[in-house]
Amino acid sequence: MTSIDLGLAGISLGAIAALSGIGLLVTYRTNGVLNLAQGGIATLVAYVFREMVVEWGLPIWLAAVLALGVVSPGIGLLLERLVFRPLARRRASAAESLVASLGVLVLILGITAGLWGLGSRSDAPSIFPAHSVRLFGDTRIGVDALAELAMVVVFAIVIGLIGARTAFGRQIRAVVDDRQLAELSGVPADRVAAAGWAAGTTLAGLTGVLLAPRFQLNPYGLTLLVLETFAVVVAARLSSMPVAVLTALGISILQSELRQFTLDGDAGQILTVLQSNLFIVALLILLLAVPKLRELGSGDSGATSSFSSRGAPPSGRVGQTRFRRDYLGKLGGFALLLAPLTFAPSDLRSAFQVPALALIFLSMVIVTGYSGQISLGVAGFAGLGALLSLKLANGDLFGLPALPGIWAMLVGALLVAPVGLITGYPAIRRRGLTLALTTFAVGAVVSRFVFEQPTFASGLYLDPLTAFGHALSEKAFYVLELLCLGLGLLVVRNLHHGRLGRALLAVRDHSGGAAAIGVDVRNLKLLAFTVSSVIAGLGGALLVHSSYSFAADDFAPLQSLLWFTAVVVFGADSAAGAIVAAAFMVTIDVLAPAGTSTLAVGILALALGWMPGGLASAVRGVLRLLAQYLADSFVDPNQRAPRPVPVRISAVGYLPATTGIVGNSGLPGIGATLGAARSGHVPRWPAVSGSYGPLAGAPAPTPFGAALVAAVAQYAAGQAGQVTHAAAPAGGPDLVGTAAGTGSSGGPGEPISGPGPTTQAGGWR
Amino acid sequence: MSRGVLQGVGLVRRYGGLTAVDHVDLVAPPGMITGLIGPNGAGKSTLFSLLTGVEQPDEGQVLLGTTDITRMRPDIRSRRGLVQTFQVPSLFPTLTVADNLLVGAENRRRDYAGGLLGLSAQGRGRISRTVAGLLERTGLAPKGPVDQVVEEVLASLGLADLCDTIAGTLPTGALRLVEFARALCAQPDILLLDEPASGLDNAETAKLSQLLRQTADRGVGILIVDHDVDLVFSVVDQVYAMVGGKVVASGDPQTVRDNPTVRSVYLAQAPLAAAGQAREGS
Repeated sequence: MTSIDLGLAGISLGAIAALSGIGLLVTYRTNGVLNLAQGGIATLVAYVFREMVVEWGLPIWLAAVLALGVVSPGIGLLLERLVFRPLARRRASAAESLVASLGVLVLILGITAGLWGLGSRSDAPSIFPAHSVRLFGDTRIGVDALAELAMVVVFAIVIGLIGARTAFGRQIRAVVDDRQLAELSGVPADRVAAAGWAAGTTLAGLTGVLLAPRFQLNPYGLTLLVLETFAVVVAARLSSMPVAVLTALGISILQSELRQFTLDGDAGQILTVLQSNLFIVALLILLLAVPKLRELGSGDSGATSSFSSRGAPPSGRVGQTRFRRDYLGKLGGFALLLAPLTFAPSDLRSAFQVPALALIFLSMVIVTGYSGQISLGVAGFAGLGALLSLKLANGDLFGLPALPGIWAMLVGALLVAPVGLITGYPAIRRRGLTLALTTFAVGAVVSRFVFEQPTFASGLYLDPLTAFGHALSEKAFYVLELLCLGLGLLVVRNLHHGRLGRALLAVRDHSGGAAAIGVDVRNLKLLAFTVSSVIAGLGGALLVHSSYSFAADDFAPLQSLLWFTAVVVFGADSAAGAIVAAAFMVTIDVLAPAGTSTLAVGILALALGWMPGGLASAVRGVLRLLAQYLADSFVDPNQRAPRPVPVRISAVGYLPATTGIVGNSGLPGIGATLGAARSGHVPRWPAVSGSYGPLAGAPAPTPFGAALVAAVAQYAAGQAGQVTHAAAPAGGPDLVGTAAGTGSSGGPGEPISGPGPTTQAGGWR
Repeated sequence: MSRGVLQGVGLVRRYGGLTAVDHVDLVAPPGMITGLIGPNGAGKSTLFSLLTGVEQPDEGQVLLGTTDITRMRPDIRSRRGLVQTFQVPSLFPTLTVADNLLVGAENRRRDYAGGLLGLSAQGRGRISRTVAGLLERTGLAPKGPVDQVVEEVLASLGLADLCDTIAGTLPTGALRLVEFARALCAQPDILLLDEPASGLDNAETAKLSQLLRQTADRGVGILIVDHDVDLVFSVVDQVYAMVGGKVVASGDPQTVRDNPTVRSVYLAQAPLAAAGQAREGS
């Protein structure tokens, strides 16, 4: 084939990429949401289109009209109404919208995989006939390419004209600038946003329908393909449509032209990979090269504190209660983690994945929860850890001697550190969207250029691990995994406590403010990325040993997105949440058909709109409410402190209102403990006698609950007299929580004074 | 005590065709309060960013003592004693007030690796105590035990009652005060304050100017940028007035106040006599 033929062949793919880019830009410029779910929507519509044509036997034109005129815009309208309108109404940060779109992506992937399975189908119908027309001489161009090119031109011009010349265009800009303000000026903001979504998802659907016949129809493959077209919008710096179109055509034609070259040796291999992966490489290069995306809004899309509602552990003396409560919780969790040792061998083998996955999730807690970076490339680190440890064990790495399996695992994980460090460098200056895309691109490039290459990832033997000359039994391996998890937890604990923990949270909360008082923002970010990559690497190495094989799919770029969503759902700043998330996903995948865990995570992710801070936060909130509910019914109404109004603590995280519970006037065991548990968040309000109903502000109880509480309250009232005396000598050794509890104690009408400047009440974390 | 003088020498910053800061020289000596005034768009904020390191000058130098800090990052400048506060208070909203202050107090060194291994200078372990002792002896440790610094600052600013409050829940006035406290905990040689009085009521502003004076009396140099001319003239020892990117007048408040350019451009409306008397009276 000549250069011209190759170039013409590239036009078609380029036009599809351009359509996808236009769709992304339309959604972004009308809603301020970079729709990561674009790939998922494209895939879903492609499946629906195929279903209508192949299974139902509808004519292609009718199926196309239904898929692109009804289903695609319908998805957009639905998403706008149910997911993104609530977010926009409460001025959610761009980071939250990003995570919401990730949730949509994961949900749609789950639906697609659930309905049609994970297998590939090659019978996707094409809209256009497979004809070609003669341009000149022997050079011909396909009808599809011409039609796609025409569509790109039409869409670009129409959308450009609407944006620049019409009143609607002005409304769009007003809504994007400030939705609330635009609404106050009479702009129908919801309609504008909905139109943007409908247009964006229609273009996504078109992308999917056009791409499917060229490649195999498969949920993950097609989705990733569409995600790669993000290169186009990055080149356009999220704003310029002509640049997006030209970049799409340029990359695609260049990729096509590369096919006429062949090289020998390693360079040849790289060239071969480039011939089908130029988009993803372009994405990474553009992200590193483009100085700054024209992000909408304040550009503060890195404010991940919105996923994480709590601060550092209190730095001062910690109340004894907290210690005991933590101790019990940890003991319980540890016992649960040990439970698989009693399982039947096959179930134990399934449980192998839990600690491994938990380590990978922990690595994300460090980067996202503690230091506030969005990282979507964790699968790359995990895969590298796995690959390097296997190579070390095989004696196949840089001529190093073969290491025993366990050592190879640890050393392999440590070898990931330099990669983490390099990935961390872009993170110094980038936040939010840009960083998310950069880390995603790193993960994707590593996957394509390393994991999927036979040179690197084949011919590896997975020898059973040995210790002291004996092969590890399955139970011993599980214990080893738990030890590794313990190591990871220790590192996470050290990262979250003391000076280092405070400094990291300071960077997460306000990096400018942190730098202003001397916190070394740059090195802390690098530290977080490096440590996180090592932990992910260790998790990856364990994951390979627990599934007995290295499969590139286990560490595919989309895994990173799924895992990230899972971590955010279960609480990005909760180490326990990470472990629970791992157990949850593994359990569901064992019990239910493949893809179910994806679906579950997706559903939970969409619920994030109602529970900022993830499940961990929700659980903390429910416990707090429950505590308040119980405490309220034990406390004499005349002695209750006024209830502070809910306080806004981060972009979205409202702390539930807490009462300044009077520690020594309720039952000693409960009242004091609960008071202690909550005093961390309570400004010391002067207590005045209030006249609240017994359950003011608490959720309305069920009839049974009400009866129960009434009975308990009656009992408590009878005991109150004696109890108060028992509780009075604060600091008694048997009175757990007194140290912290007195932080909010005080008689009615008398200003509450703290126990002393050094004492810091135990916070409810 | 060798406190550093903050000096801007021939600073120039251009944005495209606009010269926002045009060959500005400025000195903020220790123990003195220096004011920077000017109408909107005069280049005050840009100059401020050049001094704090948020932006880099196109020409000129920033010196702290005898060290050229022109190319240093903000956090390095801060560790060398040049600490700033922001126009919009920049507390860490999820941390308690005490922890906010602790972050300020304990980041003049940066041995974060020790923390990762579970060693902490304030820890209980023998090793960490030894390490802390070594640091103290070699002069790498902060000037005093950080807890003590925090307690002193909390007490002197009357914030002790707030120490366990989550910073994100505070009202603006308290936020400003806590941010100021946090900056003090970093034990600055020079404090750069960007509109510290915005959002404060009269009582709070009065308290602030008192605090500024106390701080300067302890040898800290303060540079204050504010729209509140009354506050600036009531508290400063010397003033720089900027118009159109240039310093048009500098010197003691009286001189600057009497400068005709300053009068015509910026101060025409302000009741200057009253402000001057307030200063002399205090």
